Amino acid sequence: MGRPIKKLLIANRGEIALRIVRSARVMGIRTVAVYSDADATAAHVGAADEAYRLSPPEPAQSYLNIAAILQAAHTSGADAIHPGYGFLSERPEFARAVTAAGLTFVGPPAGVMAALGDKLAARRIAVAAGVPVVPGSEVADLAAARDFGATAGFPILVKAAAGGGGRGMRVVATAAELEGALAAAAREAQAAFGDGRVFLEKYLARPRHIEIQLLGDEHGKIVALGERDCSIQRRHQKVIEESPAPGLAGAQRERLIDSALRIARAAGYRNAGTAEFLVDGDLHYFLEVNARLQVEHPVTELRYDRDLVCDQLALATGAPVADAGSPRGAAIECRINAEDAAHDFRPASGRVLALRLPAGPGVRVDTHLTPDAEISPYYDSLIAKLICWGESREQARRRLVAALDEFALLGMQTTAGFLRDVIGSEAFARAELSTRFIPELFPAWRPDDQHLKLALSAAAIAAHGGNAAGARDDGHVRTGAATRSPWSELGQLELWVRR
Amino acid sequence: MKLRLVGDPREFEVELLERDDTLQRVRIDGEVFAVRVDAVSGPVSRVREGSTQALAARVRDTLLAAVGPLHFAFTAAETGGRRRARGLTAHEVVAPMPGKVLKVLVTPGEVVESGAPLLVLEAMKMETTLYAESPATIAKVHAAVDAMVDHGAVLIELSPPPPPPTEDPSAT
Repeated sequence: MGRPIKKLLIANRGEIALRIVRSARVMGIRTVAVYSDADATAAHVGAADEAYRLSPPEPAQSYLNIAAILQAAHTSGADAIHPGYGFLSERPEFARAVTAAGLTFVGPPAGVMAALGDKLAARRIAVAAGVPVVPGSEVADLAAARDFGATAGFPILVKAAAGGGGRGMRVVATAAELEGALAAAAREAQAAFGDGRVFLEKYLARPRHIEIQLLGDEHGKIVALGERDCSIQRRHQKVIEESPAPGLAGAQRERLIDSALRIARAAGYRNAGTAEFLVDGDLHYFLEVNARLQVEHPVTELRYDRDLVCDQLALATGAPVADAGSPRGAAIECRINAEDAAHDFRPASGRVLALRLPAGPGVRVDTHLTPDAEISPYYDSLIAKLICWGESREQARRRLVAALDEFALLGMQTTAGFLRDVIGSEAFARAELSTRFIPELFPAWRPDDQHLKLALSAAAIAAHGGNAAGARDDGHVRTGAATRSPWSELGQLELWVRR
Repeated sequence: MKLRLVGDPREFEVELLERDDTLQRVRIDGEVFAVRVDAVSGPVSRVREGSTQALAARVRDTLLAAVGPLHFAFTAAETGGRRRARGLTAHEVVAPMPGKVLKVLVTPGEVVESGAPLLVLEAMKMETTLYAESPATIAKVHAAVDAMVDHGAVLIELSPPPPPPTEDPSAT
């Protein structure tokens, strides 16, 4: 049994830092936020009991700066660190440094993290534990790659051993493209991860991505909290996640859970983690273990009526893991990003000028958005997660569509309108899920013109400071100065060129 | 005023007509309809059509409007006449968003064609290239590689391109 946690430092930002603060508070644990200069007024800073500045905004100097974070822990007297997701959450050297400083790391041991963080090593653990992996080859020299392609059949996938998020990954359609693809993937992997090792896998045309949530304690007990279907992806980034996986047969769910538990036991897993699989018909293949809390964990929380951050904190102090219990209903999450979905999802940033967040039965919003918040370009573009629960998938889906219709953010482009159309689509309602869903059904999304005239009218009214050019000057006009708007004079300004 | 949807070639002629209390009549491309101005608080106007509410505000040179989960950005469209009238004196290329300067692709004195890439910005780990909107001569380059720049920061100053061999006032 470890020491109890009295004061928790959260080595993260955004919605997840805020979410961890809330659970810690429920457990009577004091919280310490850290922040970069870009986040001085951010929601997680205001929510925590104490906050410490790290540095200028660049991630390498701030949320990836192990020395500065440990210094903040030391100064504040924190006795534990929660890494959240992203940033340092899966860096074994961070987990090791936290433990070496005499603090509790809320996550798996560094050695387990290191073993699972390498995709090739994790693949070997799975094979040894009798878990199916995608047919593949560790040998990535050209001759061996040609042999593998001939045996497995094209297309094949070149992946980075140290990879993640689709970087260092290439789909190779023919043997002729193999040489160039191997070199390009290795270069990309070397640049992104400092590790150019690549391996080969058979490319599955239309698989589903299904993952199992795991919790393990220090006494060797591991429980599985069902599955999440994360098939709706864009460029290997999850967009919509749900549980249960629609149409998944009970026997196949049991096989997935069995595979996940085998890998977790073989790796000596502890705390919260997720085993990811590709599912192709009746077959499933192990992909990787994410040794941390995942972005989409609320989907599981809503079905199991459970707070996974509270679980993590209890497990970190040596408490035994509580049994899974029975799940109820269905939950769906979508990720709202500050991106322009109509223009290749390019990042957007700016100040939130007005904000309307949805609420109501079965509606959960995890966000750090506040009116006036500045969304900076330095970090991940995730600005809010909407998660809806329902007795049935269809009720959860309808609640999510209604929640997206209620959501409004003025100040920058977000993916909310795109998500509204995807989740409102017939194909999504029928749960025709595969990782090809977005590229095949929404290859070049554009917003509907239905509300364009209202938008134009509102924009023209805003151009005049809320006053109409033809407004009667008799006291009926609510506000706004009577000055002439520069917009009525200078109609020729461009977005980035000004006189 | 003539508004253009950012990233969309379409232009719309929008004219505010008379307003009676909160009821505002608007003419868009010749068609008249009415919206209700619910409230104006600070820079944000709340405008309604039936059960649908729009939020709108002006941010520098851009007009923003949110209708439910959709977000629209408009700029004033240039007419050919205005473009000529404005000429090409002392233009500035400004950062469309805060970010890091990854590459500067031009040097002072260089003559660029319309559509030439000028500079690459990185924001949220993605690259955005800024292009010349019209032929120009690079007058000054303020952006330095690896520098962090704020939204609206002047990156490059442009001056008119050298005159074409044959003068044709309608050609620019």
